[in-house]
Amino acid sequence: MMYDYFKNMVDGVSQKLLQDPDSINAKKKYVLEIAKIGQKLYTRDEKIAWCGVTIPFDLLNSMGVTSCFVEFVGAMLSSNETAPIFIKEAEDSGYAPDSCAYHRAVTGAMLKDIMPEPDFIIGSSSPCTAGLAVMEDMARRFKKDFFILNVPQNNSKESIKFLTDQIKEMTRFITAHTQKPLSMEKLGRALEFFNESSLILKDIYNLAKQTPSPVDNKLLKDFGTVIGLIMGTREGVEICQAFKDELIDRIESQKIDPSKEKIRIMWIQNRIQYKFPIEKMLEDFGVKIVVDELNDVTWEPMDPDNPFESIAKRIISIPYSLGTNERIAHMQLLAREYKLDGAINPCHWGCRQGTGVRGLTTRGLKDVNVPVLNLEIDCVDSRNLAQGQIETRLEAFVEMLT
Amino acid sequence: MYFLGIDIGSLSCDAVLLDENRNIVSSSVVPTGVKNIEAIAHVKKSVLEKSGIMEQEIKSTVSTGYGRNRVPGRSGAVTEITCHARGIGHMIPDTRIVIDIGGQDSKAIFLDENGKVTDFAMNDKCAAGTGRFLEAMARALEVEVDELGNLDKEATSDLVLSSMCTVFAESEVVSLIASGTDQKEIAKGMNRAIASRTLSLVKRVAKDFEGLCISMSGGVARNSGVVKAIAESLGIEKLNIPDEPDIVGALGAALIACERYQKA
Repeated sequence: MMYDYFKNMVDGVSQKLLQDPDSINAKKKYVLEIAKIGQKLYTRDEKIAWCGVTIPFDLLNSMGVTSCFVEFVGAMLSSNETAPIFIKEAEDSGYAPDSCAYHRAVTGAMLKDIMPEPDFIIGSSSPCTAGLAVMEDMARRFKKDFFILNVPQNNSKESIKFLTDQIKEMTRFITAHTQKPLSMEKLGRALEFFNESSLILKDIYNLAKQTPSPVDNKLLKDFGTVIGLIMGTREGVEICQAFKDELIDRIESQKIDPSKEKIRIMWIQNRIQYKFPIEKMLEDFGVKIVVDELNDVTWEPMDPDNPFESIAKRIISIPYSLGTNERIAHMQLLAREYKLDGAINPCHWGCRQGTGVRGLTTRGLKDVNVPVLNLEIDCVDSRNLAQGQIETRLEAFVEMLT
Repeated sequence: MYFLGIDIGSLSCDAVLLDENRNIVSSSVVPTGVKNIEAIAHVKKSVLEKSGIMEQEIKSTVSTGYGRNRVPGRSGAVTEITCHARGIGHMIPDTRIVIDIGGQDSKAIFLDENGKVTDFAMNDKCAAGTGRFLEAMARALEVEVDELGNLDKEATSDLVLSSMCTVFAESEVVSLIASGTDQKEIAKGMNRAIASRTLSLVKRVAKDFEGLCISMSGGVARNSGVVKAIAESLGIEKLNIPDEPDIVGALGAALIACERYQKA
């Protein structure tokens, strides 16, 4: 089922790109590359690793491992509207309905045998430990080895050394399972691609900060999270460049409609994955999502001659992985840089990242005069969606800001 | 020139007709029932008949409430949050926090010195503590909803319903009745539970509300038992209740209709 899903997506998008080779088509090129990862996971041409979100995919790619974060499957199942089947399977097997639906969907997919069997699993303690539990469960079911990267929640010399040593150990763990030693040359090239992608990403985000912003409510949806899968590759550089070109084209050709930007907002954490026209609803209200919380480059260029420490510094620079104070300070910075009028926190059901600190993040943004709308919504499981209530909250929030 | 506000809620459909000086000419409250289009026609006919005004004399209609986009002939639709804020500001001008408990939702709205909404909090998907909740409790206690308000007057215990889920609370009430607990004590416990939930909403919009004018709108504001319990939980002497709390949303909608027309 999932192989066919990704194959159809790859074939369909490739066809469309061939029909229109002169257009920039950033989003289609991006979808194609991500769908190719999905397809590779189900073809097993390479060793496969299921991972946590903050695992260095550039390192794994350079070692010839197809890798992906498990939540990707939850998001895919949600977007093709099959997630409730798998979520129910997980619940029927005893998983708590008040846990995160990304992880319930993954667990259900595993129980229904549609998760590709990995060769090994690498989890991380950030951004959430619920994902770790799912991967531990996965390791037991598939009888595979499980490595955990413990990411410290503070950015200090000691933390960086602690994480650097673990990344080295992780590399040995991978080598033990692939029987191929790490090529420092390949890793160095991956880091160079990552650096190049990062520079273009910075340009993209700087363009998005303009008033009016050249983005629309969907263009950079969850971009910062997903692009990490391919940033250490030539394709990643090309995709980033395509997005930059797309934004420049919008600015130069004056395709930006200022009436769609009466209010500039930030989307906190991840977007809603199933088909729910919240972006269109916001657009109709004149609200533009100019930034997603995780769309930022917080790391310095990496040194290919000192790759492990560079990767450690990169991982540890992501405020979302650190303590709440760092996360709030980062949101406040985004609020200033993007000249935000407000922010929306979906408060994803069962997510400690989204709901656990919502009082603190709300107050933190209020301190810089950015009101926050806290929704109570499940971003993956559409079964409990109360559309009317969501619409009323959004509309009232817009009325409040205008 | 006249201006109409219609608040189409889950339990009641309310209308207010204003003249150009923003005086209330007539108002009406009818049950929404299962066909809200009929309720809208009914409430509109009612305010027109009460006032003796012809429909064509209405210059603008603004709708609000969950069925706001179903009102025919509206010139605008505005959420109940904004309308309750606007309506209460007209009735009780010093208000800084509005508590509105309606048929299926409850909310706390924070207003600045000029009556503008600066924050709001609403209950999530469940109907705990709302008009629907009270209907279910009245059924369990075998009294009419209107009788609930005075039921707890002589209660002495400090019973609080442990569950605010309408289904579980109803079954808890049935258990309390079976164990011989007096009706008035159960009613008091229920009111305290609603008050506790309302306090949470208020705290979400105002950490410190000491000295602020707090008012209440919506049909549940007619229930003196709930009002008293909320005032106690907030630690204030009394909540400010307008004469007709059920028409606050419709009044706000009519005021917005009038303002928008006069500005245009």
